Amino acid sequence: MEFHQPANLDQALALLAADPEARPLAGGATLVAMMNAELVAPSALVSLRGIDELQTIEETAEGGLRIGAMLSHADLAGEARLAGGHYVVRQAAAGIAHPAVRNIGTIGGAVAHGDPSSDLPAALVAADAAIEVTGPSARRAVAAEDFFVDYLTTSLAEGEMVSAILLPAQPEGAVGHYEKFARVHGDYATLSVAVVLAMKSGECSFVRVALGAAGPTPVRVPDAEARLLGSALDAQAVRAASALLIKACDPMDDVRGSAEYRLMLVPRLLARALAAAQEGAP
Amino acid sequence: MIIEETFTVDAPLDHVWECIRDPAFVAPCVPGCQDVEDIGNGAYRAAVKVGIGPIKTMFKLEIEVLEEAPPGFARIATRGQEGTNASRLTAKSELTLSAAGDGETKVHYKSDVQVVGRLAKFGLGIMKKKAKALGAEFAENFRVAAES
Repeated sequence: MEFHQPANLDQALALLAADPEARPLAGGATLVAMMNAELVAPSALVSLRGIDELQTIEETAEGGLRIGAMLSHADLAGEARLAGGHYVVRQAAAGIAHPAVRNIGTIGGAVAHGDPSSDLPAALVAADAAIEVTGPSARRAVAAEDFFVDYLTTSLAEGEMVSAILLPAQPEGAVGHYEKFARVHGDYATLSVAVVLAMKSGECSFVRVALGAAGPTPVRVPDAEARLLGSALDAQAVRAASALLIKACDPMDDVRGSAEYRLMLVPRLLARALAAAQEGAP
Repeated sequence: MIIEETFTVDAPLDHVWECIRDPAFVAPCVPGCQDVEDIGNGAYRAAVKVGIGPIKTMFKLEIEVLEEAPPGFARIATRGQEGTNASRLTAKSELTLSAAGDGETKVHYKSDVQVVGRLAKFGLGIMKKKAKALGAEFAENFRVAAES
């Protein structure tokens, strides 16, 4: 196996374009673990460690944030600019596994891996993020909702890689919360609920909800959000929204919980997430 | 894990039975099936490529028809391995065909699949979803081929 350490993005993309079996190496938290288990055997690894433009987090002209693909979960967990509605991303990153994993794992790697049980995909869908994808000839932004296609499958084409995560400006007064339910601390979620919401005079004026570990991709149902909008986020509204969300879920049975159990968690975690987001509001 | 599926083919029972018992007909309907070899006594060898995201592997399978009652029932045993024995698979399957009226045929199969090794470690939940998806793809391919 070959190992490359390019100094800029163009070199990395050229190396990836030249060899379809080559893989970009971000933190290696997942890729190297899969290589150790002999589940994947890339012909070459293209390390992204030396590429400066992937290592920075910047405010955009539109009031959002551009997060370089190589930012670690630990970086995000300590990032004060992930506030308000963006807090959902900070909280999701802070809840990933353990410090050792958060120090090496990156947002770009987690997104490109596309595991629906991992924490960032649902949080990014709730935050209405776009995934910046760079290929040999072009750079494009894909809505997080459209980026995740199936289990471990994304809309990345051959030769393309995740270069950044783009968070739009959130509505005035928005707050975010990531509610994760796991068997033990540091495990993958049995189910998770990511919310970004805003309240005006006791009524919900903005809301986005995405569920993690609830299907092959993060689950978001605009009709369910419509049930919450304009309500006081009372039990009745939560019940109505949950019923619509559950219909869209297709969770799997595994050691972290049966599909049935995961569906049972939806209304409970949604209620907790909505309450916690409001409590955290400035 | 139990994988169970029912689908309806718009063709008479005898024709569907003929199709389903012909490896040359079935093989192209199986997603990822690369080649099938008849090794006699109702047994076949097949290679099937399977992938989930970046994980790609090839199962080498031996399929044996243990019992059949034309034109409606077969009991099949499958055993095999992938990645030079990194995972092993055994499956017991039952296939039932029945006339569904209007010249249609209902196809029902039920498989009890056991996987041990690295792919089992990777998570049975995701595998079950994948097996269901492949089953649905097979059903659609088979239906289209048998109806034409």
